[in-house]
Amino acid sequence: MANLIDELRIKIIDTLKLEDVSPEDMGEEDQLVGGELGLDSIDVLEMVIMIEKDYSVKIDNKKLGARVFANLKTLAAHIEETAPEGVF
Amino acid sequence: MGLITPLGSGVDRNWTALLKGKTGIGVLTLFPTANDLSFPVGQVTKSFPPEGPPRTHQLALMAAEEAIDHTIGPPDAIIMGSTTGGMSRTEELLKEKQLSPTLFSYHSTGSVAEYLALKMKCKGPVITVSTACSSGATAIAMALALLKTGRFKKILVGGAESLCRLTYFGFHSLQLIDPHGSRPLDSDRKGLTVSEGAGMMLLESSDKIMDTETIEVLGAGLSCDAYHPASPDPEGAGALSAMKGALNDAGISPSEIDYVNLHGTGTVDNDLAEAKAFNRLFDQHRPLVSSVKGTFGHSLSAAGAIEAVVSAKCVEAGIAPSSVGLHTPDPRLELNPLRESKDAPIRTVLSNAFGFGGSNTSLVVGRSREIQGKTQGETQSAASPLPIPLEVSGIACITGAGNTSETLNAFTKGLNCRGLLSEKEISSSLSTRAARRLKRLSRMGLSLATAACGDAGDSKKPGAVFFGTGWGALSETHDFLNALYETDERFSSPTDFMGSVHNATAGRIAVKFNATGPNITTTGGDYSFEQALMSAHLLAKEDDRPFLVMGADEFHPELSRLFDASVRKGKTPSDGGGALLVKRGKTGSGPKLEPLFYENGNGNPQVVSSLVQCLGGNEKIDLDFGAVFAGLPAASRTMGRKQLDLFIQTAGFKGPVIDYRRYLGEFASASAVATVLAASLLKTGKISSRLTEKETVDLNGKGIVLLGLGNFVTAVAVYDGKGSS
Repeated sequence: MANLIDELRIKIIDTLKLEDVSPEDMGEEDQLVGGELGLDSIDVLEMVIMIEKDYSVKIDNKKLGARVFANLKTLAAHIEETAPEGVF
Repeated sequence: MGLITPLGSGVDRNWTALLKGKTGIGVLTLFPTANDLSFPVGQVTKSFPPEGPPRTHQLALMAAEEAIDHTIGPPDAIIMGSTTGGMSRTEELLKEKQLSPTLFSYHSTGSVAEYLALKMKCKGPVITVSTACSSGATAIAMALALLKTGRFKKILVGGAESLCRLTYFGFHSLQLIDPHGSRPLDSDRKGLTVSEGAGMMLLESSDKIMDTETIEVLGAGLSCDAYHPASPDPEGAGALSAMKGALNDAGISPSEIDYVNLHGTGTVDNDLAEAKAFNRLFDQHRPLVSSVKGTFGHSLSAAGAIEAVVSAKCVEAGIAPSSVGLHTPDPRLELNPLRESKDAPIRTVLSNAFGFGGSNTSLVVGRSREIQGKTQGETQSAASPLPIPLEVSGIACITGAGNTSETLNAFTKGLNCRGLLSEKEISSSLSTRAARRLKRLSRMGLSLATAACGDAGDSKKPGAVFFGTGWGALSETHDFLNALYETDERFSSPTDFMGSVHNATAGRIAVKFNATGPNITTTGGDYSFEQALMSAHLLAKEDDRPFLVMGADEFHPELSRLFDASVRKGKTPSDGGGALLVKRGKTGSGPKLEPLFYENGNGNPQVVSSLVQCLGGNEKIDLDFGAVFAGLPAASRTMGRKQLDLFIQTAGFKGPVIDYRRYLGEFASASAVATVLAASLLKTGKISSRLTEKETVDLNGKGIVLLGLGNFVTAVAVYDGKGSS
């Protein structure tokens, strides 16, 4: 899962254009939304799309999203659990 | 009035179907979508020949034809709201990589109104507002204000929109679409249904018509949430402000409203915020209430106009329509929406249109004689004198030469200001975080707004924003469609969609300064800035907060040359913009700014003599103005040059005439930069020999008139506070 988390750090920085953030700044249990990174609901939607595109994992309701996007660890865990065969 | 909606063609057919509880929401057939991305839409059951103008233009024309009365001559002005313009055609062409510029001649949102002007032979101003979902209502608010000046007697106004991938997939990327079709006000509502159509009205000035059959637009209120680019203020403060503003403008109290036509899109957030505003406003008397978006869907810029027409019908017929799509009213809204249409005496209706990006407009529609004891003349000054001129307290501009001082420096030396300022330089006043989601146009806009306020040194932040842009946010538009097509129309960016709406920049400026007053974006091609200035003149409130009047356009390497014929002819890709922080004032010492003239240059052979007359004739022109700044877009240069030569000859003007696009470059908002430069030069009082190409000219306290030439002829005056007129 560590590899996936590293990968997600880079993808999130890239997708959300977080130019002033480096992967090392993103702790795996740091709050993703509403935390230091200053991410909001639109950023969540961008991440939703990136995750569906790159991992074929759909996050299409707010409740699920709130749980999954709590931090990098929960996000990676969800992706590993629900990604269809062949993604990894 | 005129209507074309998914329910059918014509006001009567629509009204009958609406009352029968029919819905126009159904299957999308205009363009193919993957199975899992197939959502209900409101689609007009009409197709148009591909050789003619695009769908939005055709829908606008259908509704306009119904609304117009050819026996009384052409309208004096046309004001349209549109978000999509020719996008339904443009996106197809881009997808198929058919990149011949002539195919894109109808792309701009402004071209819809211009098409109507051609068909209706309108010689007067032709204005386009693009404030997303409130556009149609905003256009009507502007028409009302224009009529009140007494200078125009009949205005053709409304909104038009066609379905297209941009808005369909755009709203989907924001998870704002209800896969079952919108169910406004329902407990189980999940979003909106994207729709299309057009609603048009012919509005005539009220001093002429005063009988019981007449229904009037009695008032309008405008506000901005200044909260977030894609979500409404959850407390509905902006909505409440617009609703109250409309009642104040109409001179009526909440208890006189019999029916409220809600914006009611069916999204969880909008309906809740709007209900909160409604409940705060109508805490004593509870009018009838419903949303008709379960019937018509959400046709974005057309919605406000379609619903204004519906509101007028409600007054005429004495019937309030039900909320189609509603099964279980959401108890959290604390509303009692109509489940069936209801017969009732309906004197006045309040109709809401709340836009994406936070721009809110509410209209009051009702019978004129029903205002208890008050005549039109008492509630509004029907033929009031022109509004107090605007006084400039701060300015800023961006061109290829750099920021304000760099541009002014180069310009006064007669040097070339063409080119593109780097991304880094246009973002220098923005923090990385703040600029993170912004692309070129928004970065320019925010920088300009910040710089103009800084220049004013005023502690008072702007309360309203009036922003003109010929082409809008091209980067976001391009990137959105690109991402969509690259993924076979499966994925697109919500950030890019949000940023692509023309009013996104003005919306972001409002958030930065908490500018909760009117927030208007005008998109009239090369005259967008002039239209923004007119909007400010007509709609800025008379309070002591200053407001921004701006214009900006970005150069996009792929799209600008396709869309803008002048850019194609320009030598160097150029972009930039200008911003002025202004307020209404007689007392200050800053330069005064006034839009004086705006007429169609086509089909109007007397336009130049009309201009000279408007400016007061030869002697007054000589007395008032020491220089002319001429805007001659390259694409219409021959026509513009003829107009300019005729003006110089007719007015007998002997002062310097500066062709500013030669220095600034070809971009639609060059006139905004020129206005900023003119205001600057007033301070020094001189036009250098490099610019006049002869000797240095002393303005001697006279002002400068900026003439827009070509397809439209405009005049804006910049003059000393102590000057004449």
